[in-house]
Amino acid sequence: MRKLFIRLFIFTGCFFILDKGFLYVRDSAPELEIDKRLEMILTGKIQSDVLIYGSSRGARSVIAKVFTDSLGISAYNLSFPGSDITFHEYLLRLTLETKGNKKPKSVILVVDDSDELKVAKSLKFRLDRMYPLLKYKAIRKELVKRKEKKPILNELFVVHQLNKSNFLFKQQKFTTNDSIMPCGSMPISHQKKTFNKIFNKENYTYSTSGELIQKLRALRSFKNYCKKNNIELIVVIPPNFKFVTVGFADRLRTLTNGYATVWQYDQSNPVYSNPDYFFDNAHLQTNGSYVYSNELVKFYAQLHKR
Amino acid sequence: MVFNSIEFALFFLLVFILYWFIAGKNIKWQNMLLLGASLFFYGCWDWRFLLLLSFSTFLGYFTGIRIGVAKSISWKKFWFRLSIILNVGFLAVFKYYNFFVDSFTGLFNSFGMHLDSSSITLNVILPVGISFYTFHVLSYVIDIYYDRIKSEGKLVDFSVFVAFFPLLVAGPIERATHLLPQIQKERVFDYSKAVDGLRQILWGLFKKVVIADGCAEWANMIFDGHTDYSGSTLFMGAFFFSIQIYCDFSGYSDIALGTSRLFGIELLRNFSFPYFSRDIAEFWRRWHISLTTWFRDYLYIPLGGSKGGTWMKIRNTFIIFLVSGFWHGANWTFIVWGGLNAIYFLPLMLTNANRNNLEIVAQGRWFPSIRELFGMLITFLMVLFGWIFFRANTLTQAIDFIKRMFSADLFKSPKLPELADLTIAFIIFFFIIEWMGRENKYALEQFGLKWYVPFRWLFYSFLILCVIVLSGNEQVFIYFQF
Repeated sequence: MRKLFIRLFIFTGCFFILDKGFLYVRDSAPELEIDKRLEMILTGKIQSDVLIYGSSRGARSVIAKVFTDSLGISAYNLSFPGSDITFHEYLLRLTLETKGNKKPKSVILVVDDSDELKVAKSLKFRLDRMYPLLKYKAIRKELVKRKEKKPILNELFVVHQLNKSNFLFKQQKFTTNDSIMPCGSMPISHQKKTFNKIFNKENYTYSTSGELIQKLRALRSFKNYCKKNNIELIVVIPPNFKFVTVGFADRLRTLTNGYATVWQYDQSNPVYSNPDYFFDNAHLQTNGSYVYSNELVKFYAQLHKR
Repeated sequence: MVFNSIEFALFFLLVFILYWFIAGKNIKWQNMLLLGASLFFYGCWDWRFLLLLSFSTFLGYFTGIRIGVAKSISWKKFWFRLSIILNVGFLAVFKYYNFFVDSFTGLFNSFGMHLDSSSITLNVILPVGISFYTFHVLSYVIDIYYDRIKSEGKLVDFSVFVAFFPLLVAGPIERATHLLPQIQKERVFDYSKAVDGLRQILWGLFKKVVIADGCAEWANMIFDGHTDYSGSTLFMGAFFFSIQIYCDFSGYSDIALGTSRLFGIELLRNFSFPYFSRDIAEFWRRWHISLTTWFRDYLYIPLGGSKGGTWMKIRNTFIIFLVSGFWHGANWTFIVWGGLNAIYFLPLMLTNANRNNLEIVAQGRWFPSIRELFGMLITFLMVLFGWIFFRANTLTQAIDFIKRMFSADLFKSPKLPELADLTIAFIIFFFIIEWMGRENKYALEQFGLKWYVPFRWLFYSFLILCVIVLSGNEQVFIYFQF
């Protein structure tokens, strides 16, 4: 028995030393990334007055630079394709809690019509965006909080902090779908091959059935963070090529208890029924994004009587 | 509390220390401790489950004694039948009642009657491991009835036999003839057995956390959204599930066997490299051995086995496979899976070829012959096809999955996320180790034992590193639901 314990003790000691070698894997991972926006939040480099949060619709449709060009106010887009409201809420929380970041005056939340609060296969909490940034304690803490990692193991072993994706050691590259402008926006300048361009706008009535409690909570929490920090919240519904959901804007107003200004695009604008301005049914193409961003900026200016 | 959790590691460490340092060589204390630990372990799932486990244990204990001391055949039969009816009855109520109600109402509704099953179905959760410990008790009672063993008089010893925590929730399904004598015998610490046990636990953890959970990610993704994927991707989904279910269940068995060995108790072997089988009969001799042999001894042979005529053989084969399928769960998918395996098995049995491959494949050689390789590949593909039914939620989903899989794009390159490549690399590594260790009880039993200690420790460290990296949000073992 004694022999077993001695051997286990020595083995554990050796293992601990080996484990610390993986600090290199953890700490060099951010260098392989090209999307530095999350790291900017973590290092306190967000210094804009207007911040935009959302999924791919926020990333593609809203060009933050237009705010600066038209109104002279700094704006930055922190929308991540494929992310859901729980991730947006986390990003806002992280932005506000990280030392060095400037507290924005306005936050624009771009929501998905009408999957934002429901089960949506394509939208999730983007854990994969967090794994390259494990060298930051805030990320490790959040992963433990989300039960992705075990608290004891996380403290004891560097390898437990890692994810299998850290072992791909692959330098990320920009693709035609994922190039990022200096203002954080990610417009697309081509069309999806499978995009059906026949315009047949349909109207649906929004139904609350299927709404997920954790997404509703995240939206409320998003609003509460803004309110607590005295930040203006504007919730925007970007254009779809095919359909409009009637009542979705009202639902958002109800859920934010009237704190948020909910704005929907101008449906009478012929641009939004012209397929040449769209990447696919749900996303604008660069030309459409500029039209939409100008419309949004105009609305923002009106709101602030600029 | 699952095996691949910190909670279990701490629980195990505490029980291990108490067992060897406090209980020492006192068998009574050792058994008391094992019983207490087992009840605590089971109660961690849900304390209410303990009531059912206690009932099953007392039932087996009491009827076992009554059968043993019965003075007439009729009393012996009475206690035997009572025990079987109550044990099977409990299993039927908890596991199958809702299935039968739903199936019958579905059948009547298809004839135009309008029955609502919701008012008569039971709102109960299936107690973890009920199929396993019920089978323990059944085998004990049957063995006493047929005078293979004597009834156990010590309640604590019998309770340890039924509820021993390493095997309580997912087997192996033990026999009283094998386990009870070990419980009754003094157990002394053996260094080499303890190290061997730790090695088997490590390999089990690697199988579960690295391979099974890794495959689960892709198998779930593909099965859950099967309408979105090409034929070749669906094939990969079925492939990932085939590996997942093997590594999940055999990983669990390895941890159970290794844990048990650390307490000086040897459990029945449950897997013997089934994916290296050259035909389906060999596969069933190597897959979930404790259940297969249970059905063979307590169902197939009493039914007449293969001694009768051809129709008898066919009938018995179908019965054993269908019951085996149904044992896994109350769903038509499991019954079809069982029936499909019976169909696979029949040609071998009818041509007396079911015992052709009794020895280990490529024994004493590095590589298999072309014939052996072909046999293994065909068997694996047949098994993989069967797993589609096993994994699907409904028969409709399984059929749709198969239809889509056998489409024109079956031979196109599958579209999988980049990280799936890493899982495939792990699967290849895993199969290499399994192949090299196929002549042993488990792959790591002899692997690396002749290496220099630093190299061996480096290899163990690699396995542990993989386990620690990938152990976060631990997945429950698949067989817990059965």
